[in-house]
Amino acid sequence: MARSSALPVETPLSAEAVPAKAEALSPDVQEGLARNAISFPDGIPGFEACRRFVLLTSDALAPLQRIESIEGPPAAFLGIDPRLLLEGYRCKLTETDLRALGADGDSPLLWFAIISEADGVLSANLRAPIVINPQRMIGRQVLPDDGLYPIRHVLTTKA
Amino acid sequence: MLVFTRRRHEAIRIGDRIEVRVLRVGRDGVRIGITAPPDVAVHREEIYEEIRQANRAAVAPQVDLSALAERLRQP
Repeated sequence: MARSSALPVETPLSAEAVPAKAEALSPDVQEGLARNAISFPDGIPGFEACRRFVLLTSDALAPLQRIESIEGPPAAFLGIDPRLLLEGYRCKLTETDLRALGADGDSPLLWFAIISEADGVLSANLRAPIVINPQRMIGRQVLPDDGLYPIRHVLTTKA
Repeated sequence: MLVFTRRRHEAIRIGDRIEVRVLRVGRDGVRIGITAPPDVAVHREEIYEEIRQANRAAVAPQVDLSALAERLRQP
């Protein structure tokens, strides 16, 4: 069930503060990343080797947020709360999902639909959102069996 | 790959926690029941693959996002 995402992850990082290349990270930034790391125990389909991510926010990108791997192959996703795109969006979490997230039915959770681009058209994956439990700093991509929402919910058409 | 012949109601056990049972055999398909602990994810392959490909395509879209962000900020 979709719940309020008003609870921010502790000390949100600024997207501008993190240089593009990992080698360029100062110790301060590295420590910040480690402190804000969200573990994805099952990885993300297609990026199974990435188990730790951070959530990056910036005024310029809001309400979009970046979800970047800090371990394994580089991976950066753009996400948006699906409830901002579709009023009444509800994605049911299974017991398996809740257990993996260390959450119960009442835990406040963060929800992200991953944004992708194909041929200049941007779309959001409403079918399989990323869910984060900020209290435990655990995340997971939920793969519901029912096809209630589209994988490609179109946000913009080609200019 | 291990290959088994199973009849209706017969099962295969994987480890001590996973059971795969043939529930019904039809002309076009086989109905399978899987019993697995909650920490084992079970998905139809095509769904997992679809999400996997969508994720691969999603990495760092090379487009100007400021316009999209601006539009999304509108109430």
